[in-house]
Amino acid sequence: MAVHLALAVAIYSAAGSGLGAWKRHQPLMESARYAAYLIVPVLALATASLVYSFLQRDFQVRYVSQHSNLAMEPWLTWVAFYAGNEGSLLYIALALSLLSAIAIRVGTAQSPRVTPPASAVLMLVLSFFLAVIAFLASPFVRLPVAPPDGQGINPLLTHPGMFIHPPVMMAGLVGVTVPFAFAMGALLTGRTKEWIDAGRMWGLIVWAILGSGLLLGAWWAYTILGWGGYWGWDPIENVGFMPFLALTAFVHTVMVQKRRGIFPRWNIVLVFIAFSLSLLGMFFNRGGPVPSVHSFGQSTLGWVFLGFMGIGTSVSFALFFTLQHRLESPQGLESPLSREAAFLLNNLLLLGVAFVTLWGVVFPLISQIFQGREVTVGAPFYNQINGPLFLMLILLMGVGPYVPWRKASWGNMKRSLSIPTLFSVAVTLVLLSIGITRPLALLAFGISAFVVAGIFQEWLRGAISRHRQGENYLTGFAKLIASNRPRYGGYTVHLAIVLVALAVAGSSFYGIQRDVVLMPGEKATIQDYSIQYISTAVTPMTDRTEYQAMVRISRGDNSLGTFYPWRAFYPDFRMSATRAAIRSTPIEDLYIIPSESTEGGGAVFRVLINPLVWWMWIAGPVLILGTLVSLWPQARPKIIPLPSIPTAEPAETSPDPEQLQRSSQP
Amino acid sequence: MTFLINRRLIPTALLAFAFILTGCVSEKPSTLEEQAQNIERLLICPVCPGETIDQSQNELAKQMRAIVQEKVAQGESKDQILQFFVDRYGQGVLAEPSRRGFTLLVWLAPPVAVAIAVVLLVLFIRHALRTRPGYADTSMNEDEDTELKPFLSQVDREAGFSPLRGSESSGRRSESEKRSDG
Repeated sequence: MAVHLALAVAIYSAAGSGLGAWKRHQPLMESARYAAYLIVPVLALATASLVYSFLQRDFQVRYVSQHSNLAMEPWLTWVAFYAGNEGSLLYIALALSLLSAIAIRVGTAQSPRVTPPASAVLMLVLSFFLAVIAFLASPFVRLPVAPPDGQGINPLLTHPGMFIHPPVMMAGLVGVTVPFAFAMGALLTGRTKEWIDAGRMWGLIVWAILGSGLLLGAWWAYTILGWGGYWGWDPIENVGFMPFLALTAFVHTVMVQKRRGIFPRWNIVLVFIAFSLSLLGMFFNRGGPVPSVHSFGQSTLGWVFLGFMGIGTSVSFALFFTLQHRLESPQGLESPLSREAAFLLNNLLLLGVAFVTLWGVVFPLISQIFQGREVTVGAPFYNQINGPLFLMLILLMGVGPYVPWRKASWGNMKRSLSIPTLFSVAVTLVLLSIGITRPLALLAFGISAFVVAGIFQEWLRGAISRHRQGENYLTGFAKLIASNRPRYGGYTVHLAIVLVALAVAGSSFYGIQRDVVLMPGEKATIQDYSIQYISTAVTPMTDRTEYQAMVRISRGDNSLGTFYPWRAFYPDFRMSATRAAIRSTPIEDLYIIPSESTEGGGAVFRVLINPLVWWMWIAGPVLILGTLVSLWPQARPKIIPLPSIPTAEPAETSPDPEQLQRSSQP
Repeated sequence: MTFLINRRLIPTALLAFAFILTGCVSEKPSTLEEQAQNIERLLICPVCPGETIDQSQNELAKQMRAIVQEKVAQGESKDQILQFFVDRYGQGVLAEPSRRGFTLLVWLAPPVAVAIAVVLLVLFIRHALRTRPGYADTSMNEDEDTELKPFLSQVDREAGFSPLRGSESSGRRSESEKRSDG
């Protein structure tokens, strides 16, 4: 019921904003706006009632009986809520309505002309989801007779990672609608300058949501899927990754438009690409045509989403090609060696990765259709093709920030890049001397060192200058960051990306994997770790049997403690779930998965040593921090009289730079 | 540190570095278990969607792993082992499509697309260079904090950098305008 009401309100709001914007009818636009706000509580009510049914174990509600049972702990209700199509669609609609309400509210003040058409777009998309829920996939369908018990929840979902990864990811995918709506608004009204701030803000927010969602997914895969990896280039992962890439390109070039007023059309195209890719993502999630480890919650609903994707993509691009002349920018580039051009190269690489990923995802379908042959495009393909592109991207990340706007000179660039270059060479030599000899690993670490040195050089340079103004280093540094938030926030995000790169390089080039069979009391030695299997405790539960192994780990003479790798078998699902025992350190993770029991009380373990993975989980908070810094509204420019600058006091103020750098490290 | 920022030193250092690299770099010989693992990562478990036999805990994947290990121990080559599974389960069992025949397309399309994109980018940049330079929106904060600029350039001077960016743009501008006229 509530969903139908929300649908009606959304359609009204879409029509109202659209018409109001077209006819410039103020009251109509306003009423449409309030209608958009109204949807949030209505959907919240619908959500609450479904949650209530779950808590009451009201198995007469079909969705509840499909995704929970009496044995399910109440705290899992949250996960069960979006375990299937119907519930997750309701969640998506709620998330979109909330994001829309905030976007419309903020946008009305910030960009009054662009927002009404944008909210019409938002409400149209929301109406689509609500219509699907209302007519095709309602979570409120009741069974004629209540079954005595439900079917239970998918065991892979019973993990803390599942509490946040899916909702964050879904919110991110559907959130791409917000920047898209503003881009549409700009296109329809022809106001390219007005949408830039709203577009950038929402682009960044959604970018960060998607980024955190992907990292959370990696974490979930790492701790529960039981293969020791975090990213498998699975089709569903890929379709979540592609809009993220397109948005990454957008949040870079949007700065070019903000500062220089060029690329107005390209920015809109980027957002449209991101939106189309997010629709593709939702299509694949709702019963797409490819096999995936994410194959829960599938149905024939896919075709509805395929249609929506087709319509959404073609309508938006058709509009773009009809209206693009309005966005003509008379301006151009000044030099091929400039920040603007560097951003274009960045776009090329990011879209290159997105294309390769898309190609890998759709190729099996192409092969199926034209050749009738089944083909798998798996991780090795992506690693080989995307790997070099990623390396180039990271290298560009080190160079790009040193390329000035408008026009750069080689001389200046060489100078600013010399310290990072030397540092990266030094790091590479040190790595060589400690036995890291794989060329690709060296390249990856060397490039990472280059980027990190570049970032710290900028921070240090600024902080030292601030210090000269009589501030202490800490406040100087804080004010430096505050002085240009987009820039320094961006550096922080770059740092997070480097952390991820380190983790990926470390674990993929130097990861070790062994399968060992141990009898109780027996020891296995892997590298310098010694693993002793003590025993397994078997606990039968109503819906599963749990096996908790006990292993003692030591290294040399040091005991590292007792660990409990755990697995459970769910007979109803004919499925095992595992919790690896992970001893995580910044240098390497020791990762133990219990895979099975053998006759005579033995057990099979898969033991992995994954260097540097720890840093990937650090990257998440760093990434969010950087985005927040970037987003924090810039204080109004204050006019401060320039202090008199000591121009020539060589005796007093020019200590040699080495001393200067040393003194800056308290 | 100033002495390090000598112009000749960097290329020399890089050369020496490249030289050392070529001398030291080598792939370590892999053990039988590693060889088997490398092959297991190239085979998809036919009954568990999207997982390689290396990842999967499925019974069939375990059996396939055992076969791979046995064949590696018997000294069969990677291609022979992969072919063995292709004969039984079809092309879909390969995690990475073969580089022959139709599936070669998978491998060829990305480099071709990137090459086309590079050409387009170059063409676009050449086109964009001919149009008028963009406006600099002065209401926005400059790249460098203006109040900081004098201090920054001093630090740069001391650290051996040349005076920075801002000063040069005015001079170069007329040059590009000249070009746009021509």
